[in-house]
Amino acid sequence: MSNTSDFISNLAAKLGRPTPTQPPPQVKLSVPQYQLSSSAERVSVFLQNWQALGGKGAIVRSEDETLQCLKQWFGEQPITWFKENSKALLAWDKLPTIAESAFSSLNWPLTRYSQSAFDPRDRYSIAASAELGITGSDWGISLSGTVVVKSDPLRGRAISLLPPRHLSFIESTKIQDNLFNVLEEVAALGSPPAAIEMISGPSRTSDIEMDLSIGVHGPIEVYVIVIDH
Amino acid sequence: MTMYNQTTDERVDKALANSFLRQATRRATDRLRNNKYKASAELGNWEEWRAAGEAIRKNVISNLDYYLNQLIEQMEKRGVHVHLAKTPADAVTVVRNIVSEHNAKNVLKSKSMISEEIHLNHALEEDGIDVVETDLGEYIIQIAGEPPSHIIVPAMHKTRQQVADLFEPIAGHALSSDTPTLTRFVRTQMREKFLRGDIGITGCNFAVASTGSIVMVTNEGNGRMVSTLPRVQITLMGMERIVPSFRELDILLNLLARSATGQRFSSYTTILTPPKNTADPDGPEEYHLVILDHNRSEILGDKLFRSSLNCIRCGACFNVCPVYRQLGGHAYGSVYSGPIGSVITPLLEKDWKKWGHLPYFSSLCGACSEACPVRIPLHDLLVKLRMRKTQSGHTPQVERQIFKAYRYFFTREKTLRRALRLGAHLQRPFVRNQRITGGPPPLSNWTNSRTLPMVAPKPFMQLWADLKNKR
Ligand code: SF4
Repeated sequence: MSNTSDFISNLAAKLGRPTPTQPPPQVKLSVPQYQLSSSAERVSVFLQNWQALGGKGAIVRSEDETLQCLKQWFGEQPITWFKENSKALLAWDKLPTIAESAFSSLNWPLTRYSQSAFDPRDRYSIAASAELGITGSDWGISLSGTVVVKSDPLRGRAISLLPPRHLSFIESTKIQDNLFNVLEEVAALGSPPAAIEMISGPSRTSDIEMDLSIGVHGPIEVYVIVIDH
Repeated sequence: MTMYNQTTDERVDKALANSFLRQATRRATDRLRNNKYKASAELGNWEEWRAAGEAIRKNVISNLDYYLNQLIEQMEKRGVHVHLAKTPADAVTVVRNIVSEHNAKNVLKSKSMISEEIHLNHALEEDGIDVVETDLGEYIIQIAGEPPSHIIVPAMHKTRQQVADLFEPIAGHALSSDTPTLTRFVRTQMREKFLRGDIGITGCNFAVASTGSIVMVTNEGNGRMVSTLPRVQITLMGMERIVPSFRELDILLNLLARSATGQRFSSYTTILTPPKNTADPDGPEEYHLVILDHNRSEILGDKLFRSSLNCIRCGACFNVCPVYRQLGGHAYGSVYSGPIGSVITPLLEKDWKKWGHLPYFSSLCGACSEACPVRIPLHDLLVKLRMRKTQSGHTPQVERQIFKAYRYFFTREKTLRRALRLGAHLQRPFVRNQRITGGPPPLSNWTNSRTLPMVAPKPFMQLWADLKNKR
């Protein structure tokens, strides 16, 4: 095994100069970036692209619309799920207000992942048995129909991963045109969180005879609700 | 790993005789290539994106010492264990030690070409570890005991029936070979493994130097599983896999996803800045980063080939290469196949005897260079590698003799005339329809499968002289 300074000075020798002490000049980036003109357009392109990837999406303006949307998508299913599993709906500690009140009006109790068990492995088992994982999103990307989620002690990464369905709430103002803009905001955080997950549609694979198949490991169904205040 | 013990000719013959393989290779490469065309056209100004990608990669490689140092500092500041491995053996030792320190029995892996390069699975299996490839394609070839045949779709050479046959002993019952059944089986099978994995091993698509972050791209979500659930995570990276900051990441991620599969982005792009926050409910508590040199520093010092380190492993060059499209990846015999594999394998492995055939797995048509999102002049590098091989004296005896003879005749005009006349005479028994169709070795090496133009009854030198006289 090498120590860092030997390893680095070997590279400097190969490059034929001492290691720079100042950051190398940045490369000029002049690619034309994808840009939309209004927030409304951003939301609608975002949803189109999300749906093209196989996700379901809707815009809501009130608690009532949220409730209607959830009813339409999931119908009586949660009632059946709860009969088998009281922890069928697994969520962040705190979802956007509109989502919290819609779930409580529906009387669909949410299990908070981070507090669901003491041992991480037990939490994973709970997440793997849950029917629906519910999160918020920190950003959206119109161009690719992507939601971007930061990790945080009150959240949990497995919620958007282990259950067969993932539902995410996003405020319309958080939807950006492209990844570049999102990464600019990530860079502005200074030190990034332990994980930032960019999710574009359901889990997919074409590894068997190039035949597309959904849900080999991650969620099979993905839903997004855009909250437009 | 049967492929590694066969000769090049045996592997090529095997590939040519396998009609499913050839059909599958064409299907996969056609699909990926056409998707890439669409995805790159959609972005508009693809050439500007390529130029930017190339500029970013060049900047990284020519300042690799600075950026690597920065990456290591950032990682260590947060308590990540960074291991610098000079050789594949060093890297394997690091991983083995971590696994044994933790007394780990179940090791989960998501796709990593470095782990193929260092033959990690084999070593861990010898230690009695249950090591599982979790990417569906990688899982298939792991059970089959084969190396990947394509960098993006590693098991594309397997028929669905072969896949079902491989899974059956594990399932313990017959499986139908339709895709949903097979993927469902893997989902259930793998779930249990994910939930009890002790250590996760992942690859790394990019490492962000300024923040010490690792970027990982998968479509299945297995990369997320492996980097979220086990308590200990190991990431393997080739030392060139750096990007200076988030500012440049957008361009490289766009180029990678669009060139690899024609997606805008893969289903999951994960940016890890490990280890987890102590209060986070999931994510690895302990994180190891293994950075592999394996002669990459030699390539860095070799100006002729330095640009090969710019590669972002998208596989676009595979999909357009007429040689790859005919043969698939196993005929190359190397872990990295396709045009970029032909360039880097001889440089990484430094063994002309074993890998000297690779620079010749090319028609030099240049399609690879044209497809490459970071504009690596691959066909040019292949020519230069041929030159290196010749200079190092590793060309076959026959080839050397032929070129000696060539020089001898072409520097002596009279002798050449005489030889051509003689040739025109000697070729007669082998000429059919104006083509040479047989003959003794070494001529037969060629004429066994192709024909040669005959020596003209009146050589050019004679024609030229006659023309001059007429004037
Ligand atoms: S050489 Fe270029 S085209 Fe080939 S895999 Fe690397 S980046 Fe992609």
